[in-house]
Amino acid sequence: MSAQDAKISAAMEHSEWDLVMTRVFDAPRELVFKVWTETQHVAQWWGPKRFTNPVCEMDVRVGGAIRIHMRAPDGVVYPMTGVFQEIVVPERLVFVSSALDDKGNSMFDVLSTVTFADERGETALTLQLRVIKATAQAPQYLKGMEMGWTQSLDRLGQHLATVQK
Amino acid sequence: MNDRLSETFGALADPTRRAILARLAAGEASVTELASPFAMSMPAISKHLKVLERAGLIARGREAQWRPCRLQASPLRDVAGWVDHYRRFWEESFDRLDDYLQELKAQDSKNKAKEKKHVRTRREN
Repeated sequence: MSAQDAKISAAMEHSEWDLVMTRVFDAPRELVFKVWTETQHVAQWWGPKRFTNPVCEMDVRVGGAIRIHMRAPDGVVYPMTGVFQEIVVPERLVFVSSALDDKGNSMFDVLSTVTFADERGETALTLQLRVIKATAQAPQYLKGMEMGWTQSLDRLGQHLATVQK
Repeated sequence: MNDRLSETFGALADPTRRAILARLAAGEASVTELASPFAMSMPAISKHLKVLERAGLIARGREAQWRPCRLQASPLRDVAGWVDHYRRFWEESFDRLDDYLQELKAQDSKNKAKEKKHVRTRREN
């Protein structure tokens, strides 16, 4: 068994194919929930480093729409849409989001469940992702996006290096 | 349909099928061997195997009479790669969320300090 296969086998036993991520934020739960559900706040952090969100709209109610256009540091815009399926203030958000190609067709649909747990004034946020649909373009799309941000960081590093000389 | 990845994710969504794949990662096995840990009828197991086969995750040998099942890992690598990219996307977002929350908190305590000072000056007057 190759190392990769061993990794795959281990992941399978822990049923990790649906991505689960937990992070503890040093902020009260109400505040964390608020910055997830008010667009002027969401636009400040959604997406990788140095991405901006020129379009950021959320209709926070069951059946309400999400529309976010992420702009990568290299100028490429990545539009996505979504629909809220469940909202429990300030505990839980469930939504389906879709990344769109340049014709507006969905390349992948992901069901996200976000839970906010109060831990003595801090907030443990758990994000569970289940892929509902993914076309053959989907991996390429994410790869491109990642290159968009890592390359720009490299460029920034190079720039800083020249400036400091 | 050009949705190979969806089919892989669909096949992986079921715990029995994941357990079958985990077993096959340790080496090929017959259908009877694969069925033995589960309280499930043979037709039910066969159905799961068909889903896995259709998704290209397993292959059935033709040579031997017991037609051993074998793991085919390449679609899994595609899925693992995809999941990795998506994980990084969210890690980056969480980093920013963390910074942003600290910023908000710092602003908030600054505002509160100002208010206090304001109250104090008023009292002094």
